[in-house]
Amino acid sequence: MPSYLFVFAQSHSEFRLPELESIAELYGFTLSVPGDCDPSRPFMILQLDLEEHARLLASRCILIKYIYEFHAQGKDYEELHVANKANRHLWLPYAHDTSFKFLVTAYNHKIPESRQREVVESFNYMGFVGKIDLKTPQIILGCFEEYDSSSGLAVTRHDRDGRFRQAYFGRLVVEGSARALIKTFDVKKRLYYGNTSMEAEVSLLMANQAMASSSKLVYDPFCGTGSMAYPIAHFGAQVFGSDIDGRQMRGKVGKDQPPGVLRAAKQYGVADRIVDLCTFDVTRNPWRCGNLFDTIVTDPPYGVRAGAKRLGRKKELSEVQKTANIEHQLSARNKLEPYIPPTKPYELSLLAADLVVLSRYLLKPGGRLVFFLPTVNEQYEEVDIQSMLCDGMVLVANSLQGFGSWGRRLVTIRKTTDDSYPPPSFEEERNLGERVPAHKDFREQYFRGFKKEAIDDAAV
Amino acid sequence: MVRLITHNLLACHVKGCTSNNFPLEFKDVQVVLRESEFNPDFLRGFIPKIEWSALIGAARELGDTSLPDQLPEMLDDDFLKTLHHVLLEIHVEEGIMVCPNCKHNYPISNGIPNMLLAEHEIG
Repeated sequence: MPSYLFVFAQSHSEFRLPELESIAELYGFTLSVPGDCDPSRPFMILQLDLEEHARLLASRCILIKYIYEFHAQGKDYEELHVANKANRHLWLPYAHDTSFKFLVTAYNHKIPESRQREVVESFNYMGFVGKIDLKTPQIILGCFEEYDSSSGLAVTRHDRDGRFRQAYFGRLVVEGSARALIKTFDVKKRLYYGNTSMEAEVSLLMANQAMASSSKLVYDPFCGTGSMAYPIAHFGAQVFGSDIDGRQMRGKVGKDQPPGVLRAAKQYGVADRIVDLCTFDVTRNPWRCGNLFDTIVTDPPYGVRAGAKRLGRKKELSEVQKTANIEHQLSARNKLEPYIPPTKPYELSLLAADLVVLSRYLLKPGGRLVFFLPTVNEQYEEVDIQSMLCDGMVLVANSLQGFGSWGRRLVTIRKTTDDSYPPPSFEEERNLGERVPAHKDFREQYFRGFKKEAIDDAAV
Repeated sequence: MVRLITHNLLACHVKGCTSNNFPLEFKDVQVVLRESEFNPDFLRGFIPKIEWSALIGAARELGDTSLPDQLPEMLDDDFLKTLHHVLLEIHVEEGIMVCPNCKHNYPISNGIPNMLLAEHEIG
């Protein structure tokens, strides 16, 4: 299998491989990742059968900056040139009459121009006699030096120069074109959004984990202001959204205007792929049957800006109150003043566990559940995610976006079973296992500053 | 919105209302037709999920009689285009969906159905 040098954007390193693997699976080709591959580094050498596959990845993966045909690497230039000479069959066809451009660049460092020239000249043995064309070359050859981060080190740029960790060389196959979508979906330019709207880059990453594509039916049970719906619909899928709070989906508009989510969808040219938006509590949902959706993708509210809610009351009413209440509900109401049932908090570890079981019921076999789970980094253990799984649901990826003491994990789960399972019971009083997962009562932990529970000093 | 594809998937879910709770009946509806892109692959994938008689009933309730009584065996483009129109281009913007069994009213306002249950309905 030919090797390709992938150059990634710096952020979201834990999302790099899951994104590539999802898109490779979506298009049905093999991506081979060597065992010693380190996804935290922005350069990776991966194998693909065809150059066409590299082009497909670059057209969809948000984190790809460039893909080069890989020619050589080395801890110094001596090693790199030896390897490059051994791979001459890759570049010799371009040596005689192909116009070209030579790029020399570095990660975590800036190479002085004089040495950039030296590096270019060190490749003279390749015998490229075609025209040097900086504007419209037929091919671009790239040489990348990867440096460790200089933060905290008392060395000058001059002293660091040349002391790279690894250097890579290859021929440009394709630039990542999907990164431009980050601007397209910029929340600040969106016609409708809220304070819980997901930033564009991450919502696009979620859409790729969801393997969104034309002919798929996708469901977001905590749709909110629709952040997830837009990129998913952009990639061609049909999207259902529901939320317990209809105001999130509508926004503050009168009857003469479409709901906020639809206005934003129209801005992106995808309004007709938002199949419908419905107001309901996902724990009391009206879906007629299971096995409906290709993907369930959602960013459940976890309580920092808005907590998740479900129908019910924190405290049960007395019988007298109940009767009075039903009378009140049934009394005539006009459209401007509809009955709004009471809600209570939906604790995050219950929500997450319910979401997995609900997805097993609602997903088609092979379908994916993709969702964000916030967690306290110091207390997090892998078992927190493993223990959420149930028969027929298998973990595909788990990528951390860190914010210091806390972070959120993008969890991707696949339904591997063809069997039919019942919908979840959504019971509130149940045992989720002995360990308290790091995401339990996340909201309370967040506002406590992630300190251990304060000891009740009144009792001391 | 509410499109007939959605109507075909929603059942009354009031506590204890488990039979004759589908399809919901439309009442006092305002209908708008909106063209949308034709996606035959999506339709072919979705057809096995359709409750055909419920779809026919709802379409006729809204004045559309273009679909046959039975799902045809041959899914040619002409049929898929008709199905596309019925499933995805008829939008109920205002009105009520009523449960045939327990008579619960699910109001539709500005295209969004309110499927929330009242306190005494969740049990």
